[in-house]
Amino acid sequence: MTKQIAAFTVNGAEREAIIEPHMLLIDVLRDQFALTGTKYACGTGDCGACTVLLDGKPSLSCLILAVTAIGKSILTIEGLAEGPELHPLQQSFVDEGAIQCGFCTPGMILSAKSLLDENPDPSLDEIRHALAGNLCRCTGYVAIFNAVQAAAAAMKTDSTGTEARP
Amino acid sequence: MRDALDKNPGFDPRSGGTSAPSTTGAPPATSRTIEGEFSCVGKPLPRPDVAAKATGAAVYGADLVLPGMLTGRILTSPYAHAKILSIDTSKAKALAGVAAVITHEDVPKLRFTRSVMAEGLPPFAYEGENQDQFILSDKARYVGDWIAAVAAVDTYTAEKALDLIEVEYEQLPAVFDPEEALKPGSPIIHEGWPGNVAGVIDHPFSRGDLDKALADSDYVVEFRGRNSRQKQAHLEPDVAVARWEPDGRLTVWSPNQNAHLAKKTMAQRILGINEGDIRWITTTVGGGFGARLSFGVEPVAVLLAKITGKPVKVFVTREEDFSGWSSRTEQRQTIRMGVTKGGTITAIEQRILSDAGAYFSHSGTISAVNMQATLGVMRSPVVSGKATIVYTNNPTSSGMRGYGNPEGSFVLQQAIDMAAEKCGMDPLEFRLKNAKGTGEPSMWEPVTLTSCALETCIRLGAERIGWKEKWHGWGASTGAAGPSPGGRYRRGVGMSIMTHASGAGGFLLEHSSAIIKLDEDGSVQLAVSPCEMGQGILGALSQIAAEGMGLRYEDVHVITGDTDVTLFDIGSHASRSTYAIGNAVLDAARQVRATVLERAAGILETSPRALDIRGGSVFVKADPTQTVAVAEIARGAIYDYGLEGRHITATGKHQALTHCPNFQAGFSEIEVDTETGVIKVLKYVVAHDIGRAINPLTVESCLQGGAYQGLGYALTEDLIIDEHTGKVLTDSFATYKMLSALDMPEVEVILVEEPDPSGPYGAKGVGETGITNVAPSIANALYDACRIRIHSLPMTPEKVLAALAAAPQSPDYNGG
Repeated sequence: MTKQIAAFTVNGAEREAIIEPHMLLIDVLRDQFALTGTKYACGTGDCGACTVLLDGKPSLSCLILAVTAIGKSILTIEGLAEGPELHPLQQSFVDEGAIQCGFCTPGMILSAKSLLDENPDPSLDEIRHALAGNLCRCTGYVAIFNAVQAAAAAMKTDSTGTEARP
Repeated sequence: MRDALDKNPGFDPRSGGTSAPSTTGAPPATSRTIEGEFSCVGKPLPRPDVAAKATGAAVYGADLVLPGMLTGRILTSPYAHAKILSIDTSKAKALAGVAAVITHEDVPKLRFTRSVMAEGLPPFAYEGENQDQFILSDKARYVGDWIAAVAAVDTYTAEKALDLIEVEYEQLPAVFDPEEALKPGSPIIHEGWPGNVAGVIDHPFSRGDLDKALADSDYVVEFRGRNSRQKQAHLEPDVAVARWEPDGRLTVWSPNQNAHLAKKTMAQRILGINEGDIRWITTTVGGGFGARLSFGVEPVAVLLAKITGKPVKVFVTREEDFSGWSSRTEQRQTIRMGVTKGGTITAIEQRILSDAGAYFSHSGTISAVNMQATLGVMRSPVVSGKATIVYTNNPTSSGMRGYGNPEGSFVLQQAIDMAAEKCGMDPLEFRLKNAKGTGEPSMWEPVTLTSCALETCIRLGAERIGWKEKWHGWGASTGAAGPSPGGRYRRGVGMSIMTHASGAGGFLLEHSSAIIKLDEDGSVQLAVSPCEMGQGILGALSQIAAEGMGLRYEDVHVITGDTDVTLFDIGSHASRSTYAIGNAVLDAARQVRATVLERAAGILETSPRALDIRGGSVFVKADPTQTVAVAEIARGAIYDYGLEGRHITATGKHQALTHCPNFQAGFSEIEVDTETGVIKVLKYVVAHDIGRAINPLTVESCLQGGAYQGLGYALTEDLIIDEHTGKVLTDSFATYKMLSALDMPEVEVILVEEPDPSGPYGAKGVGETGITNVAPSIANALYDACRIRIHSLPMTPEKVLAALAAAPQSPDYNGG
């Protein structure tokens, strides 16, 4: 098998990894970059726990060969917060009780980020659709919907400087 | 009490109120009863474990990397029942990078059960769970049974080595149906258990002459039902890391729900070493739901680490998890119930045929809890319960949220509706008339109920679902119209009630301890040993600790999950952690508080009784301007340059022969598409008797999650096993159908707060309960809508259509 040194942009930084053609992106992220916030839960693309953003799009790192991500910008959960401050989505997931065991949380938050990037003011139905590929076994989703709505409101307030939610 | 409630439903004079109902999309419920009374208890405070989970910093088992660590993988049986004639591991061992290959010849010859809870069973209650397996089996008893294991430098090499292990099997006839397994001539699965009878359990509170009572009853109803093999399906696949230390001790890292009893089981049942030679560390747990009250891959990791002398991490894939050793037990049950014309229950009989699968695991306790909970919610002078547990070649069952209660309630709660119909009574009134209340025996009968908010739960839930307006009645006999005539879509409402323990006192060792130490800055470290598997227990215990000492929530730092540091606890299950460990924490907190007040009294020149603590400051009650900071007292206790220094610490405990049962009512409104058979849940309302919601946000989230799993249990989730091969066909999230974000209906949670005198600040348990009332309330709603009953879970469209086609319509029924 051919090994190669491949360059990725991971959470804004240039990183290199030794990869082989069969390697999955999730394994490179977890084993070579120690970014263990990306979770393996099914390996078949059915649960969304391994979701990362590839050039801003939610992508299942358990199905993606690492070679196909060369040169692309990868955002994992570790890259979401800027410094010690939590991202508004992370903060709202904490505040709204949207996290129980936490295993789905990184993928769920990244899917929600992708949604809010494209649609800053989603309806409940749009949130449901955006998160339909991320299974949560603990919460019943309701607190997660609340968290995404709260984050949308907070991010709107941040960008406009006005209170968006009474 | 009943009169007062009748006049004024929705208000309960015992508590001063109930929390505001909250609905999907609405802000979470907050408790009105405690405003101004407490500083931490009753507040929706963020939990200490979740920020790390939101940033990816939390370390789960799979994230753990130790120097020199190897990867372990397990070879499983492709056959449901087979003799192992030979195993050739030579090729696997010769592969570069392989450190060890082990088979049944290498494992300790001690039989054990995966249920680590079995170590906590008192000798007087039951004979315990059968000790019937080795770590690696000498005979395949189900598809997925563990045959061999490999440790290698990486996963790729380990899995390649598994392929090189050559096993010669001789296939044996297999049996997958528990009724078939009992027949003479059926294949014998365990030599020590003739006829495949793994155990027979009599309900300890059976009493009276059943036959006579049924014969004397005005009506007798009978309902048979069967639950599905629901998977816990925690998103984190099972994993464990083990390392033998240079001093000869063993360290295990795993997501087990029961660290102290896991340690004991590993020491005594598997390794034959002392408990003190093992340190058990609980990693961040990616969901438990009862699966992790059993051993997963820990024993294999321990053995591979022992043989290789290196740390070993063993994990399973999702497919292996689905095909493995743990799902809800399939139980086939019959309920017979006698009633008087006036609607009083005269007798209840419950018979259970429980399919343990290939190994016994939790089968005994699950059947026992099923009977206690199912038979324990209603008053009846004559009670009879018996469970027969059978070995088959199906995958092994295990504890799953509700632990027998969702199994039994599905059957009993339908029988209750049938009895109410015979009597021509509203099933709500029938339940109110026959359900137990304060002062009566609990589900574990020697224990008397010290609180019971069931009536309030029923009244409030009924109000929120619109019971009076929406329930169709039984037809002419009750003067109501019956289901709406004809049409493709038919609506109905149904209800269910339940009781569950808050702990296991009486039938399991019920013993928890907590340590608190007060640091020099006035913050505390709280060392406790629940399993934080997502239920929010670390937050609730921190709130109880802070409240008990008069400190701020942020002053409490929790240390958990390390048996070398924490005192004994019997783990997180049975809705016990807030109640039982909470009591231990409160005991410790009150001792710390007393010590602080004593020292403060010296400084403020008054008596401890004249003082109080709030927000980390001690003050004189009569003159709040006189204060001394807790930090100053804590510092003085350590930096004492004389001889009076003593770091302020306390050890608290909870021990009980009781378990403070909680109660709950659930209501479903559904719409049935009679052309497709699809049941659409329009709304589910759950009203729970929580005693006191230590953290209402957490409690609500817990009940929402329970309802979610209950909806799956009712409608979609089932482990489907090939009846010819015994292979699990639903071995992925694509085939095992859990509800997605698109499928979740509206769920309304009502928290009824009537404090129990024995709970910490009046709190009772909730964790197991949210799942239980969903399926029976939907089943009863289905009857309200279409006059059909489904006898097995899940209630799929195929079953609904078959029942619609087969049902001889009742004379009252005027639908098409």
